[in-house]
Amino acid sequence: MTLTTPVNYPFPWTPPMAIPEAWETLRERSILPIALPSGDPALLVTRYKDVKALYSDHRLSRNTGRYPTSRISADNVIFNDPEVDNDPPRYLAERSLVTRAFTARRIEELRPFVWEVAEELMTAMEAAPRPVDLMEAFAFPLPIRVICKLLGVPAADQAKFRHLVDGFLSVTKLPADEVDRCRTGLWNYLGDLVVLKRENPTEDLTSALVKISDDDPERLSDHQLQHWLQTLLIAGYVTTATQIGCSLAYLLHRREVATEIQNDFSLVPAAVEELLRYQIMGASLGSLRYCIEDIELDDGTVVPKGATVLLSAEANLDEEQFECPMKMDIRRKPNNHISFGSGIHYCAGAPLARMELQVSTEGLLRRFPELRLAIPGDQLRREVGSFLDGFAEIPVDW
Amino acid sequence: MNPPRVSRLRVSADRSKCVVSCMCVYRAPTVFDQDEDGLVVVLESNPPIELADDIRGAAEGCPVGAISLREDVDAQDEVVQTG
Repeated sequence: MTLTTPVNYPFPWTPPMAIPEAWETLRERSILPIALPSGDPALLVTRYKDVKALYSDHRLSRNTGRYPTSRISADNVIFNDPEVDNDPPRYLAERSLVTRAFTARRIEELRPFVWEVAEELMTAMEAAPRPVDLMEAFAFPLPIRVICKLLGVPAADQAKFRHLVDGFLSVTKLPADEVDRCRTGLWNYLGDLVVLKRENPTEDLTSALVKISDDDPERLSDHQLQHWLQTLLIAGYVTTATQIGCSLAYLLHRREVATEIQNDFSLVPAAVEELLRYQIMGASLGSLRYCIEDIELDDGTVVPKGATVLLSAEANLDEEQFECPMKMDIRRKPNNHISFGSGIHYCAGAPLARMELQVSTEGLLRRFPELRLAIPGDQLRREVGSFLDGFAEIPVDW
Repeated sequence: MNPPRVSRLRVSADRSKCVVSCMCVYRAPTVFDQDEDGLVVVLESNPPIELADDIRGAAEGCPVGAISLREDVDAQDEVVQTG
């Protein structure tokens, strides 16, 4: 790594279960010039302290579609929709309409339903020919069923939306015209959903948001409404499914850790947090921001106005913040990882994701005491060319 | 000399900052709650001293730094502040 040559980012996972070497030395400099998959330049802010501070810094804008922000993908604008306003004050006002559905109490009320879905999926796994692909048999269907319930979408619609969402999240996987077809398809699918809920409102978040938008379009415009539904649907299952896969694959790869949890299931919540810290998925692409004023970092280095910035999720391995960061310690405390981001854009669905991860981890390790990877962990295949780099499949047996 | 002894905890939360991460409720459930919208509510502004660690964890876990903990120290005019 030199100062002048940008490093290609994200760093490749080779082999698939090992933390990329670059993550360890990343923080020698507070800013690392990188090249995004599009080839466009960006700056990666590497240290936990700076990352944390910048997540709460209004000089970084999330309205990346409204500034000349570097592109993640050459073929897909992904989240850079210029029509969407993602900065305060509008962002915060709209966010609060959504987060009321994600209070600790409401998420706890959902937990029995998530257990029910998990049990049903595991029963189907028992009846299926082995090895079973954990991604398709469990990791995807669980959060899909849950977000569909929350949004009031028939789970059978996944046949319609899954391919569209894959296209929406393509970085290099699909050509530009296919990406466009998927984006349009997804937008139209959500538009139809809005119409349906307007005509036949039900007890779900979509109906509630449609009503708010109809009552007062100033509060939530049609476009912002659909943008939020899109975000909720995508973030509601792709990220959780990917993390369930990454967490379980890692636990089964380090089987002694899974056994430790099986001997004491009260370890599950802390283990889930540690796996979130350690099994970072999607690198830092989700933190893309545009710098609207010079920002001085802790060591005096300046992030210049006009730069495209990524806030490093790899800061989860910063030794200034985490003791023995390369060690996976399922009892780690404190564990203030930044896998859900920080600041006002902190993942609105984090409480739901945490609960789903807890149920998944405990459910699978309880129902299948002998659960194991059907192939060596180092032969697992990661997704390539997508926004999230989880496992394409995880064959398991027991 | 003995280390200064904390005599009183004082907890407060800035609801205007709250983004409903729920971290405070998870880490110190007897001290924090949420209203209907999910905004933080302090249940006990002078909680028992044994809860200092949990509350510190809640303050450090809050993604927007909405929680403050003041630890008043016995016999000295010293105050430790988190968040």
